[in-house]
Amino acid sequence: MSALAVSDLKRSFGGIKAVAGVSFDVGVKEIVGIIGPNGSGKSTLFNLLSGTIPPSSGTIRLLDKDVTHQPAYRIARQGLGRTFQIPTPFINMTVRENLLAAAVEGEWRSARSRAEEVLAALEISHIADDLASTLSGGQQRLLEFGRVQMRDPQIILLDEVTAGVNPRLRQIILGRVRDLQERGKTFLVIEHDMELVRTICERIIVMDAGEIVFEGTFEEVARNERVVDAYLGRPET
Amino acid sequence: MVRVTMQLLIQTIIDGLLVGGLYVAISIGFSLAFGVLDVVDFAVGEWVMLGAFMGVASRAWFGIDPIAFLPAVFVIFALIGFLVAPLIYRVRTSRYARPALMALAFTFGIAMFARGTMMTAVGFDPRTVDTDLVSGTLMIGGLHLPWLRLAGFLFAILSTALFMGFLFFTRTGLAVRATAQNKRNASLMGIDVKRLSAIVYAIYAGMTAMAGVLIGTIYSFTAQVGPEYSLLAFFVVVMAGLGSVGGVLVAGLFLGMLQALVTVYIGADYTLAIVFGVLFLILLVSPQGVLRRGLAA
Amino acid sequence: MRAGGANSARLTARSVIPLVVVVVFLATLPLWVDDYWVRVWTGVAMWAGLAASWNIIGGYAGYISFGHVAFFGIGAYATAILMQPGLDWNFFLTLPVGAVVAGVFAFIVGWPTLRLRGAYFAIATWALAEALAQLVNTVDFTGGSFGLSTPGNAETGFFYYAMLIASALIYLIIFAVFERSRFGYKVKAVRDNEAAAQSLGINTTSVKLQAFVMSAALPAVLGGINAYWITFINPQSVLAGDITDQMVVMALVGGLGHLWGPAIGATVLYLSSTWLNAHFGSSTGYIAMIGALLALIVLFLPDGLVGLMPRARNMRLVRQMLRLPDRRADPGPDPDTSRERS
Repeated sequence: MSALAVSDLKRSFGGIKAVAGVSFDVGVKEIVGIIGPNGSGKSTLFNLLSGTIPPSSGTIRLLDKDVTHQPAYRIARQGLGRTFQIPTPFINMTVRENLLAAAVEGEWRSARSRAEEVLAALEISHIADDLASTLSGGQQRLLEFGRVQMRDPQIILLDEVTAGVNPRLRQIILGRVRDLQERGKTFLVIEHDMELVRTICERIIVMDAGEIVFEGTFEEVARNERVVDAYLGRPET
Repeated sequence: MVRVTMQLLIQTIIDGLLVGGLYVAISIGFSLAFGVLDVVDFAVGEWVMLGAFMGVASRAWFGIDPIAFLPAVFVIFALIGFLVAPLIYRVRTSRYARPALMALAFTFGIAMFARGTMMTAVGFDPRTVDTDLVSGTLMIGGLHLPWLRLAGFLFAILSTALFMGFLFFTRTGLAVRATAQNKRNASLMGIDVKRLSAIVYAIYAGMTAMAGVLIGTIYSFTAQVGPEYSLLAFFVVVMAGLGSVGGVLVAGLFLGMLQALVTVYIGADYTLAIVFGVLFLILLVSPQGVLRRGLAA
Repeated sequence: MRAGGANSARLTARSVIPLVVVVVFLATLPLWVDDYWVRVWTGVAMWAGLAASWNIIGGYAGYISFGHVAFFGIGAYATAILMQPGLDWNFFLTLPVGAVVAGVFAFIVGWPTLRLRGAYFAIATWALAEALAQLVNTVDFTGGSFGLSTPGNAETGFFYYAMLIASALIYLIIFAVFERSRFGYKVKAVRDNEAAAQSLGINTTSVKLQAFVMSAALPAVLGGINAYWITFINPQSVLAGDITDQMVVMALVGGLGHLWGPAIGATVLYLSSTWLNAHFGSSTGYIAMIGALLALIVLFLPDGLVGLMPRARNMRLVRQMLRLPDRRADPGPDPDTSRERS
């Protein structure tokens, strides 16, 4: 059984093909990285997978069930969790309330204790009662990452979850990802940080101009000239 | 018999178009202020009301005919608008949660303040603006065209033309259009959005108040008419689509016609109910404005 | 603007004592004040309930409804029509009917309108309420512009307790649903970020609709009691736009999205309006006053009067006056999670 099976997924905005026929599989407990230059369609792909925007064509199967064209909340209820590239905290709530709000469609009885657990694991217990609007960018990313865990999804999409986060916090996030993998979770990760991609991703999908240009391990990717030209050779943005 | 009904229909449509011109005049600045400030100004109808009362005052206090006083009305209300705009801008760009809704509430407060103050000051008696400069009726082929309404329509066309000239042929106008489309890009290009908002809001307040004087020469009014004109302006802007000058022109004339036709053929009692009902339907069908695609200026 | 989260509503000894004082004060009021003041406090109770109902959609769900008077009016007309000679319904039985009619109406119009954002929703609800008022003015079974009478009932105390109990129940419902259940989290999540809420499995359309229906059904009950109380209703008295205005202003002045905000706003404003009426004999000055107050609150105290309470969670006003840096102003990455504790 595959956790996620995508076939010939397409989405265009006006005349621009943001995602132009993408197919791939992700196995259970796998951690797959998606890299590519800005505008290569990575975030659009995430939006399609999570149902935030509908695809023009193609199919998405989540845990062997067809979820294409389902609204975002249904896909979420079937076991997909995601973070957004630009953090989306509930700004009128405290950090703890943000975590609780993330559990409303899941197991509610244990929500409070799980929130405390997540707060502790991400080392943000000391700001638990602060309004989310007062957090720094890095803290908002941590909160975003914490929120997605509250629903206990089977497949987690992380969109640049470590951008702008300091090295120590990055280690915390990485540890947590490995932890969750041990417990059977599957990850799809958009990252610009190659070091991080190398450490955690077992397989890497390289995108450019809305298409998958290469798939393989980090070493294979690093050896591939086309990828290096398209992406790694460019100055980091 | 057929001739009589045809004549009535034509007369009704012309009456509607003439009034529609005034709706264009009160909506065009409003539409642009909406675009630039990103705030729906709930005080728009109050500018109409205040303008109309200024028309009354010009005659009563200064002995000047209201039509001749129009330029002064523009200056006075532009000045007031110029002072109010920075406050709206401040709320709109504040870091509080949901600044858009707070800005909405702010203009709503200003509107209530204006309305309450005028109600306290002048009471509930209906007034009209009297002018000696324009009177009589033009008769063409059995159609009645009161000169006052023609003058109002002419004013509307003239001010719309001037306004469009400002938008399309001046540097500030270009900056206004750029800002209405994308605030962040505009400020990146070095446009002082705050100052620009104040200018746009000033022009809008001045124009709307002038239109108020003319509306006051045609219809009687009280201090309470503000909200009704606000809804009419909303109607025009919603139908036109945000930031579409051409759309405002068409929507304003359409509204005037719709009102006139409903009044004549269905009954005056139903006019507002139908206008509001249509506005509601337009919002549901196309919140971006039905005329936007066809006539985007 | 802040959310009344678990913190502000937690029942601690410090909040229970004032609550008990208020309850005792309100419950015994008719025993020690004259009829005039009982009537004044009947008004306070009604407006607190109305503003709190509006706060559901305006404060908790973040949709400014400028047409809420429609639901108040529907309740008023439901009661008045059912109590007409020939039908002669029992007064108490008419109240749930009004609530159901208003709720169904809200469901039908809410489903399409709640897709509209911000100002467009405000305009749509306003247009709808105005259209309804015009319609009631012209059709027959509502008595047209002339209106309807309800059977007279002179007992001031009866209406005081009816209004007080209805508003207290509204408050209890709001407390239970929005401060004590996960539905409250859902609504606030949708308000703060719809896309994120969806990604967490929340059916945002349904949540908004449920909040809107609740927000509409509750004021209908108060409208029904009011119709019986004032014994004569017409579109000018129960479908007038300034009823909506007051609900909005009271909620905003008290504290948007806060449990106690609407009650505080309603009490302060209704008492001021009574005072103005008694001393100047005009209610138009009141409109000017609340307009100015609304503008000032938005400018200087966006959290409303509850923001002045000592335990208010984030002292935005103070921060603003002292020009304390706001962390969100700096978009750059933060090197550390530690922050100065204020």
